[in-house]
Amino acid sequence: MVELRNVSVTYSNGVDALHDVSLRINDGEFAFVVGESGAGKSTLIKLLLKEITPTSGRITVNGFNLEKLKKSKAHKLRRTIGFVFQDFKLINTMNVYDNVAFVLRSIDAPIKYIRNRVPYVISLVGLKDRAKSYPTELSGGEQQRVALARALVNDPQLIIADEPTGNLDPKTSLEIVELLKGINECGTTVMMVTHEHELVRHFGGRTITIKDGRITFDDYIG
Amino acid sequence: MKLSSMNYLFGQGMKNIWTNRIMSVASFCILSVSLLLIGFTMLFVANINRFVSGVENKNEVVIFLDDDVDSVMASAMENTIRNIHNVESVTFYSKDEALEDMKKSMESDNADQLFSYVGEENPLPDAFRIRIADIEEISPTLMDINRLDGIDSIKSPTDFINILTGLKRFIGIVSAVILLALILVSLVIISNAARASVDIRKREIAIMKLVGATNTFIKVPFFVEGMFLGALAGIFASAVTCIGYSELIKVLSQDMTIWSIMSVNGFIPMSEFVVRLVIGYAAAGMIISAFGTVMSTRKYLKV
Ligand SMILES: Nc1ncnc2c1ncn2[C@@H]1O[C@H](COP(=O)(O)OP(=O)(O)OP(=O)(O)O)[C@@H](O)[C@H]1O
Ligand SMILES: [Mg+2]
Repeated sequence: MVELRNVSVTYSNGVDALHDVSLRINDGEFAFVVGESGAGKSTLIKLLLKEITPTSGRITVNGFNLEKLKKSKAHKLRRTIGFVFQDFKLINTMNVYDNVAFVLRSIDAPIKYIRNRVPYVISLVGLKDRAKSYPTELSGGEQQRVALARALVNDPQLIIADEPTGNLDPKTSLEIVELLKGINECGTTVMMVTHEHELVRHFGGRTITIKDGRITFDDYIG
Repeated sequence: MKLSSMNYLFGQGMKNIWTNRIMSVASFCILSVSLLLIGFTMLFVANINRFVSGVENKNEVVIFLDDDVDSVMASAMENTIRNIHNVESVTFYSKDEALEDMKKSMESDNADQLFSYVGEENPLPDAFRIRIADIEEISPTLMDINRLDGIDSIKSPTDFINILTGLKRFIGIVSAVILLALILVSLVIISNAARASVDIRKREIAIMKLVGATNTFIKVPFFVEGMFLGALAGIFASAVTCIGYSELIKVLSQDMTIWSIMSVNGFIPMSEFVVRLVIGYAAAGMIISAFGTVMSTRKYLKV
């Protein structure tokens, strides 16, 4: 669950990125967050990952009160969240398997669990045959699938996707969102940031619009 | 942390060395040069100190006795001197022994002839040879000895010792400053070199942070990398130092002036420090390198 109450963010350069934002996304929901460039969408995501702290307001993510959570304990929060970014954020010197396994290794998971879990999620995103490939050998869509597998491997309560289709063609974009929908149907909360209205209209559902740092629309469409 | 994770992280550290091999070679070279500078500075200072203490040890106070001091008086004096503060040992050095030593030291064809003039009459005085425990505190001890009766004259190396002690202190301070500066400079250079190799992986670090890796987990491979390069540089520097030092001694010993100065005590033989050298180098290399590397990851771990 994600809850923001009267959250504002002012960057040190004086930019008011978010202004009095209140928002609640319940467990198991799928929500699109839309808005123009510079509206404050990525700022919202950085808040949820505790990369930045709000100037004012309260935030709760997966039961963590971010105000009380120490920066040095932020990894506990992050282990409950899977993320997908527009630029995939894969490690090019690691193959697909290691890119995914790396998450579990980073959190000190048992080796046996890693050996079972990693091939499972890789096949879940349809890349069973590409486990030994390196990111540079994959298409954008395939790379984003790897990123999805990586987000999933940890069995997170929440997946945050920041413009996951930003670098993909329309057909591949549909496939990725469909994968996200599938993951959501298995019970994971998904929050997907996008500025592709086409995509939102195609899938419908809860849509939150941010404009100039404020929420201007929050309802179900389609 | 689990053993399997430690294994994995260790492997990552080793892999990093190979992946960033140019940076690794650069770090290795910088470390080796730093270690060599530190090592040779220390050896230089140690040799000077050895020379100084060699000279100091040679120095003893000799007191020559009046002619009218008989053996009873002499042994009384010996006891008194032995109880003076800072006196390590007293030995009676009779005029007969002195004459013998003199003859020996002048072993030449003329010596016998020369001494034949002396005949039965030994012109040398009886004496005490006194070793001083702390040479730097010699002045008050000399004053105490001076108060005794029956002393003809005292031969002491006070001036020379004052100079040497001053020199030793000076070298001690200067070398400490130089060593400290060298260590600091190496740390700065190494942490900068390491920063470059950390920069290459800042993306990786950022991703690790996002997926919830702890700072420790992120630091360990860098630490392993630093330690390994440090140990390698330590071994390399040890080899260079051993070969360089023995060659240097060979060359220096051919120079008569240097040889005659150092022959008081000789150069420090390598066997005396080789074990400490290898351990010291490896430890210093590992500490400087690991510390420098870990320091340079800090700015990326704040996220
Ligand atoms: N680190 C930062 N320091 C200062 N200002 C920032 C920082 N990050 C973002 N901003 C500013 O905050 C505002 C919101 O930025 P944000 O990245 O949240 O927008 P966005 O909605 O994600 O845009 P886009 O769709 O282009 O990704 C912008 O005006 C941006 O310039
Ligand atoms: Mg953005």
